[in-house]
Amino acid sequence: MKRQLFIATSISAALAGCAPIGTALNDNAGVRKVLASVEGIDDAFIGSSGALAREYRESDVAPVFRVNGFATPSDANYRGLLASYYAKYRLVVDGAVERPYAFTLAQLRALPQSTQITRHDCVEGWSVIGKWSGVRLGSVLDAVGPRSNAGFAIFHCMDRDDSGTPYYESLDLRQAYHPQALLATSLNDEPLDPDHGAPVRLRVPTQLGYKSAKWVNRIEVVENFAHIAGGNGGYWEDQGYEWYAGV
Amino acid sequence: MKDSNGAQYRFTLAVRLSHWIWLLAFAVLVSSGLQIFNAAPYLDASDASNPARRVLSIDSPQDGVGTTTLFGHTVKTTGWLGWTDDGEGGKTARAFPGWITIPSYQDLADGRRWHLFFAWVAVLCWLTWIVSSARKGNLREMLLSRSDLPKLWPMQAYYLRLRKTPPPYGTYNPLQKAAYTLIGFVIAPLVVLTGLALSPGVDAISHPLTMLFGGRQFARLWHFAGMLALIAFFCVHVFQVATQGVVNQMRSMITGWYRGEHA
Repeated sequence: MKRQLFIATSISAALAGCAPIGTALNDNAGVRKVLASVEGIDDAFIGSSGALAREYRESDVAPVFRVNGFATPSDANYRGLLASYYAKYRLVVDGAVERPYAFTLAQLRALPQSTQITRHDCVEGWSVIGKWSGVRLGSVLDAVGPRSNAGFAIFHCMDRDDSGTPYYESLDLRQAYHPQALLATSLNDEPLDPDHGAPVRLRVPTQLGYKSAKWVNRIEVVENFAHIAGGNGGYWEDQGYEWYAGV
Repeated sequence: MKDSNGAQYRFTLAVRLSHWIWLLAFAVLVSSGLQIFNAAPYLDASDASNPARRVLSIDSPQDGVGTTTLFGHTVKTTGWLGWTDDGEGGKTARAFPGWITIPSYQDLADGRRWHLFFAWVAVLCWLTWIVSSARKGNLREMLLSRSDLPKLWPMQAYYLRLRKTPPPYGTYNPLQKAAYTLIGFVIAPLVVLTGLALSPGVDAISHPLTMLFGGRQFARLWHFAGMLALIAFFCVHVFQVATQGVVNQMRSMITGWYRGEHA
C-alpha cells in the first residue's frame, strides 16, 4: 500500500499546488485574452439565431419578483421624478439618429404595447418568471430613425454603484430589434415600482439579467462603444463579464 | 500492432493528447464550476428558482459557521463548506473554499471565462477521442456489448475476492467497459447538454432541451450531479491505474505502448 499512499499524497499535493498557479494565470493579461476569445464563437453560434425566449403561462409567474443588483436611486433627481409621479421623466433617444427625441412616459405608453411572460436568468445562476409590458425597443428606434452608421444602442441609467459609477448597458442593433427586447413600464400587471427599475427598464429575455438595465433614461445610438466608460459596452462588462450575455 | 517484445501500440497520439488535455480541462472545469456555484450556492429541482424544491444549499447562518443542507437535513461543515477560506488569507461566508476554486478569490466573471473556454476544450477532446478511437477500432473494445452483460457480476465477484479468476475478456474487462460506456456516452453528454441548457440563448433556440431536464434550475442540479459522477470516475480510474501496474499504465498513455497481459 506504500506506493498507493505515495501516489495519493502526490495527487493531493499537486491539487493544492494548482490553486496559486490557477490564480496567477487568471491574473495574466495574455491568458485572459485567450479565455475571452470564445465569446465571439458563442455569439456566432447562439446569439445570431434570433430565436425567441419561451413565453410562459400566467400561472407560472412568481408571486415575488426577486430584486437584485444596485440599490434603488435615492438622489434628488430620482426623488423629484417620484414626487412628480414621473411627469418630469423623459427618455432621451439621441446620437446617430435622424430625429432625436425625448419621450414622456405617456408617449411611450401611447405606442403599440407588447406583453411577455418570460424567465429572467441571473448570471449568478437563479431564475424568476415575470410578466412584463411595455413598448418594443424596435418601435422606439424606428420612431427616431437610426442612421446608416448606427451600430449599437447604449442604455444610460439613473443608478450608480457605491463609488458613484453609473450603470449602463448596450445592445447591437440586431439584438435591439429582437421582437422580445422590451422597454418595460409594467411588471405583473402593475406599473413598474422603483425597486424593479421604474419608470422604464430594459427586458432582454434571451440574455442574462445584467443586460436588462433598470432606470433607463437615455438611449444613445452610437457607431461603437469603445469611448464610453470602460469601453466594454456595459457596467458589468467593464468588470470582466461577457458583452454577449446569452451564455 | 505489436513490437518484438510483445508490447501493444494501444493509444494513438490523438487519444493520448486528448486524454491529457481533457484532464487539464476537467480540473479547470471543476474549479471554475465551483467558483460559479458559489454565486448562488443552492440547487433546485425546478425551472425557475423555488426554495420549496431545494435539494442542496450551502449557507453561512452566522459568522464563523458553515452549514450544508441536503434534502432538508442540515449538517455543520464549517471550514469545508459555507464558512471557508476566501482565497486571500482570511475566512468568509463562501460555499466552496478558495483552495479549490479558480481564481482562488471569489470572482464570478473570471470563473465564467475559464469555464466557458474550457467547456469548448473538453467537447473538442471528447470528439477527438470518439473519432480517433472509432477509426482505430478501439471504441468497440471499450464499449459494453450485450455479451458483456452476463460477465459483469463474475467480474465484480472477482474484485470482491468471491471468485478466484476473472471471466475471460479482451483488452478491457466488462466492468471497465461499463464504466467507459457510462462516462463517455451517458455522463459526459449529460454534463454538456445540461450546461448548454443553462444558457438563456440556447434555451431560446431549444426550449425542449431545458425542459427535458426539468427546467433551468433542474439542469443546474443535473450538471452538478454529473460533475460528482465524473469526479467519482476519476477517483476509481486513478486508483485502478495506481494498483494495476502504474508504470506500464502511465507509459502506455504517454508513449502509446502497453506491455504484458491483455496486450
